[in-house]
Amino acid sequence: MRTNKRFAALFLAVTLSAQVTDKNLLEANASNWLHYNGSYDSRRHSPLNQVNLATVNRLVPKWIFRVPNASRLQAVPIVVDGVMYVTQPNEVYALDARTGRKIWDYQRIPRREKGPNRGVAVWGDKVYFTTPDAFLVALNATTGNVIWETKIAEASDGYWSPAAPMVVKGKVLAGIAPGDHGLNGFLDAYDAVTGERLWRFHSIPKPGEPGNETWAGDSWKHAGGNTWLTGSYDPELDLLYWGIGNPAPDFNGDVRKGDNLYTECVVALDLDTGKLKWYFQFTPHDTMDWDAVEIPVLVDAPFQGKMRKLMAHADRNGFYYLLDRVTGKFLAGAPFVKQLNWASGLTPEGRPILVPGIEPSLKGTKVCPAAIGAANWMSPAYSPDTGLFYVVAQEGCGMAYKSTEEFRPGGFQYRATGDVNLKDDSWKVYVRALDLSTGKLKWEFERIGSTSFGGGLLSTAGGLLFSGEVNGQFVALDAKTGKAVWNFNTGQPISAQPITFTVRGKQHVAIAAGSDVISFGLLEANRPPGESVVRGLSKDAKGTR
Amino acid sequence: MTRSLNPTLITLAALAMAGAALSAPAVKPKNPYGESPEAVAAGRALFNKTCTGCHGPDGSDGDRAPSLNANRRYFRLSEAAIFDAIKNGIPGSPMPGSPFAETEVWKIVAFIRNIRATASDNNVPGDVDNGMKVFAGQAGCSGCHMIRGQGGKFGPDLSSVGAQLTLQKLSDSLTTELPISPGFRPVRVTTQAATMIDGVVRNEDAFSLQILDRKGKLHLLDKQEIRSIEYGTRSPMPRNIDKVLSSKDFHDLVAMLSRQARNKARIEQQGENEVGR
Repeated sequence: MRTNKRFAALFLAVTLSAQVTDKNLLEANASNWLHYNGSYDSRRHSPLNQVNLATVNRLVPKWIFRVPNASRLQAVPIVVDGVMYVTQPNEVYALDARTGRKIWDYQRIPRREKGPNRGVAVWGDKVYFTTPDAFLVALNATTGNVIWETKIAEASDGYWSPAAPMVVKGKVLAGIAPGDHGLNGFLDAYDAVTGERLWRFHSIPKPGEPGNETWAGDSWKHAGGNTWLTGSYDPELDLLYWGIGNPAPDFNGDVRKGDNLYTECVVALDLDTGKLKWYFQFTPHDTMDWDAVEIPVLVDAPFQGKMRKLMAHADRNGFYYLLDRVTGKFLAGAPFVKQLNWASGLTPEGRPILVPGIEPSLKGTKVCPAAIGAANWMSPAYSPDTGLFYVVAQEGCGMAYKSTEEFRPGGFQYRATGDVNLKDDSWKVYVRALDLSTGKLKWEFERIGSTSFGGGLLSTAGGLLFSGEVNGQFVALDAKTGKAVWNFNTGQPISAQPITFTVRGKQHVAIAAGSDVISFGLLEANRPPGESVVRGLSKDAKGTR
Repeated sequence: MTRSLNPTLITLAALAMAGAALSAPAVKPKNPYGESPEAVAAGRALFNKTCTGCHGPDGSDGDRAPSLNANRRYFRLSEAAIFDAIKNGIPGSPMPGSPFAETEVWKIVAFIRNIRATASDNNVPGDVDNGMKVFAGQAGCSGCHMIRGQGGKFGPDLSSVGAQLTLQKLSDSLTTELPISPGFRPVRVTTQAATMIDGVVRNEDAFSLQILDRKGKLHLLDKQEIRSIEYGTRSPMPRNIDKVLSSKDFHDLVAMLSRQARNKARIEQQGENEVGR
């Protein structure tokens, strides 16, 4: 009888109503992983602690799901009550999160080969994802049936959409790419029930709008400013925080004199209207393709003796920033990489103090960080337990060139050249732990053997920081010290962010590595010898086929 | 519809092809023969002289290359895409380019399109609005099936069915007992806790079972927690739709279903995938 009761309880746990409420999304209960970055504040910190410093040595792969024809997945799996949703461009897979067995898949036809895709958002009984042909698609979470699809932008113009959407109070927030084709960016909100567009925030102000004066002449017309990663949301302020990408042409600023708002900014937008509340520009008049799309991490913590609503952001330009997220005011900042030669520091307002001549030139100029950046799409993490901000930091420089290039409609590159990565011995990748208030380095762990970023980070209440490397190592670090306490060679380059969740009360840690999604759990006690793992069936099953 | 050979069109198509070779095609080449039965017959003869070594007679049964008229998903559907595959081959696959003149290639295209035509290519006559009413009403289809976000979840989504099945197969699926589609095998499970679940098997292996029940709920089970499994041998799909409906309603239903081709407009607008899978 006891056994039966236990089974009944388990059974209830996986009888799915498949309804994700606003409250679920807000609370981001640790048993599920409901957001690209775990919660609206994007801390990527889970209160789960079954896997901890004492048990992590028993962490083993539980299952592997191979995404057909995938090569370098960047998707963050989303987990709702035992069902995991994984994407690659044009495709969504719903998996049984205990076993990795497929429940359904969605294949977009025709396929457009534009990638990556970074994952789904969930709300109600629906799963939302964006496509290489720049649609937002709503699928039924139980079957994968298409409920609606809405065109975000014209694929024939060159647009596509890679970011995981975010749902807040019945609005689906969806961004757009690319940033390097002279196509102006925006952030959209759609009605989660009908797919109708509710508002659009244009990254590039039109003539007559504030900010347009930061673009010389007509340069605002082909100006970039795209939104290819997911942002954050503060429910008390009812504000969205979204990072905006680079200006176009990327490497030649001569044709777009001015600060080029709102490229290289984080913007705070009113959820209901999409109206701009404030902005902060990390790299005014950028000429190094340093998209400021890196994740804005929302933390409430004391700053100079006073509790503040903060936003922490490690930018591709090499500086760490701490802002007041109510006002957008700059509070503190510091470089988080050593190889940084384009600015000598930040003004009290947070504006970079430029070093003259360190910018792309006709003959080439060494600029550090390189255009690929000191940070990029690898999500950072923040642990309230340690008070540390964790970031994947790349040390490296590029030889940066500029040229003259005309904008061409139809989705062509509009970069006016680029840089060559100077991958000498000094080119290194680290996981770095920064003091939240000052950005001061507390510890670092080198991703030895990595010459490009790899994947992002996950912090847990087990005192662990998970980190996926491009050389295939999936690593757990002691969140306090940065010491490696566990590793598993996945054998494939990791370019995605790890997640954690529970299924039937047991903690799993999962990550996409190369073509596979791998889910890890704690090794359990030995099964008695000879006992079948399909016990019920081996004795009494009356299976007929 | 042009059913006879039109030299002007051929010239235009040739020009369009020349343009396509140089840059992204602005105009998609169109088959100058259209669906002409003579071209289909000529294309068939050419095909059976040249392509059978890999694709089998009439494209039916290839040893070294895919069957071209199987009931599977194709990635090259448009005239232009099939023309390109024959003319230029498929890079990265054993499919070679052909030495045929373009006029000959177009005849083969006409033949392949002919053996592959789906219900949506047929312009089936009927009252589509009434067909939708029948679908949601007396035929009871929408209890299990969804079209464009409306309807049940138990059976396959039919939003693209007109572009997936031939007209014959579509009609048969309403009237004739057919093999059960993968993911829809009926099952009745009794758990160790004596709960009974009636549904379809979405997926299964020796250790786990993923069931969708009739209310549209998923059940993700370990075999350990299952006491018994009984598999149904017949699809839950009723096969007497033509008997329970008037002849007009049945034909209107078929006409409506044949037009369900969700992706067709986007395929026409965007073109097809560059590479088959």
